[in-house]
Amino acid sequence: MTLGNPALLLHIALRHLTARRRQTLVAVLGVAVGVGFFLAVSAMMVGSQNDFISKLIDAAPHIIISDELRSPPEQPGLRAFSEGAVELRGYKRRTEVRGIRGWPAIIATADALPGAISSPSLSGGITLKLGGHDEALTIIGVEPELESQISSIDDYLREGRLHNLETTQGGIIIGEEMATRLGVRMGDVVAATSAAGNSRSLRIVGLFKRGQSQLGSTTGYVLLREAQSLLGRPFIINRIGIRLSDPYAAETIASGLEQRFGYKAESWQERSADFLSLLVTRNVIMYSVVSAILLVASFGIYTVVSNSVSDKRRDIAIMRSIGFSQADLQLIFVAEGLILAIIGVLFGWALGYGLMTILGSLDFPIAGETQHIPLDRSPRQYAIAAAASLTAGVVAAWLPARKAARVDPVDILRGAI
Amino acid sequence: MSADGNPALEAIALRRDLPGDPPATLVADASLSIERGSFTTIIGPSGCGKSSLLYMLGLIDRPTGGTLLVEGRDVSGMDGDARAQLRLERFGFVFQFHFLLPEFSALENVMLPIRRLGRLAPADGKARAMDLLRATGLDGKEHKTPDRLSGGERQRVAIARALANDPALILGDEPTGNLDSHNSQRVVELLKALAHEEGRAVVCVTHDLSIADASDVRISMLDGRVRSIERGKGNSAP
Repeated sequence: MTLGNPALLLHIALRHLTARRRQTLVAVLGVAVGVGFFLAVSAMMVGSQNDFISKLIDAAPHIIISDELRSPPEQPGLRAFSEGAVELRGYKRRTEVRGIRGWPAIIATADALPGAISSPSLSGGITLKLGGHDEALTIIGVEPELESQISSIDDYLREGRLHNLETTQGGIIIGEEMATRLGVRMGDVVAATSAAGNSRSLRIVGLFKRGQSQLGSTTGYVLLREAQSLLGRPFIINRIGIRLSDPYAAETIASGLEQRFGYKAESWQERSADFLSLLVTRNVIMYSVVSAILLVASFGIYTVVSNSVSDKRRDIAIMRSIGFSQADLQLIFVAEGLILAIIGVLFGWALGYGLMTILGSLDFPIAGETQHIPLDRSPRQYAIAAAASLTAGVVAAWLPARKAARVDPVDILRGAI
Repeated sequence: MSADGNPALEAIALRRDLPGDPPATLVADASLSIERGSFTTIIGPSGCGKSSLLYMLGLIDRPTGGTLLVEGRDVSGMDGDARAQLRLERFGFVFQFHFLLPEFSALENVMLPIRRLGRLAPADGKARAMDLLRATGLDGKEHKTPDRLSGGERQRVAIARALANDPALILGDEPTGNLDSHNSQRVVELLKALAHEEGRAVVCVTHDLSIADASDVRISMLDGRVRSIERGKGNSAP
């Protein structure tokens, strides 16, 4: 294969394109619109997906170890005769004391992971009373210092902060709905009673925003030792939340911890498997729509290059007679497609950027707050759009360019006008 | 590259069949030799195979039989790229229609083979193209596109382009076929000068007997065969 100077071939390709401005413009616009809308749509899709996943990941700890076992412990008889023909049925399981045994060891192990932070907590049911009104509430006792590092509870608070639990004796954080039902506000005192028979007065030091499905309207936060004494279970915890530096390692680490300590360790992926499979479907839909757009854009390129090849059969024959090789001719027409795609991508980037700016400036009132569409403006999307368009452009141009290389100069030179 | 004793072109029993049933023969058993410094014409009635022969001699078409030597070198087994390279270096073509690239100026058209060959620096290539245009009487029209040139001017640009890489062989397919007698005369003079003064081998297919009479060697064809090869009068062929 012999090839001429690329600058010369490019020069010829450019001349062909500038000679047919209108078609060139239409093809470039096709690519630009395809790329622009790809960017806008994918920014929204990826943006909302990232937003969704980060909510999934950050609303609760990446790994939650609870005082449950996935399967009952093996019976001593089975353990003793593991090779023997022993079958046990209908036995009564030993009542385990609720709570995670040996939790300081688990926390030490988890904290030893690079970048990991773990926070122990105890949850249990209590009843809040105000006057003659009762409300059932699940309280979670936490160490605010640790808990605020592993989940973003503060973001969900309308009023107050998690640290208020430490600064106020007997503080509690409840949801706005619960507060409305009880008719209390920040700073008010309510009476709390647990099943263990302990009662206490708690002061409201924080309120969750409405509509936080992750937290629920019947959850409240108190200090860990407050929960332990109120529920009558000193030194006991029944949950360890772990935050990792890499959330996507959660699944592996969780199964490792579960194997080692026996307690159920649930990663955020396991908790949200249904949502994640939904996202896969969404992505498939998005990328099919987007590839369709880019495919249509590449039809424009195909048309221009194909027309160019048929219009230029004479010129092709002339160049062949001068001594241009078949590869030269093919490259000239592939270059035409590539030029169209490159210009289209540049305009498409600008269009996409513009669309994103418009989308990003829109305000949506949700749950009494102004929200913006979550957009992913990462360069990755720009790169994907460019790579897809350039590939489509080259393929679309390559098909007619092959025809150009195969033009037999003899017939044309002899018969043409 | 010159004066090595070999003729510029030598054809031995050159043949061109078109596939089909029965196969059609365009050229049969054409044997001839083209010398440097000579102006050769190929004449004959329409459809006698003279253009087919010319395109085989110019490596644009491939013979289906026989042997072709270009400056003593057998080109029968060459692949397409090697033939294209040889065309680029050693051949120049002039066709009946000017066959200039319409989007390019006269100067750019002439520079095309020079840039493709890539042996001259851009400035030198441009200077050479300007010299060629001046030599063909196109001073001041370098930057005009073909549609703003007259028929005679276009054909002279085509000749300048054929000369771009200083070829040993100039092949013309009815180079004057579309020109009036004045322009036609001018082109023939130019082609003759290329043969006699610059020592190139010039081969033209023509219908015009006055051109054939002016040539050094006249090859007549009929029904795909070379009927006669005559040396013309008053010439300087070796």
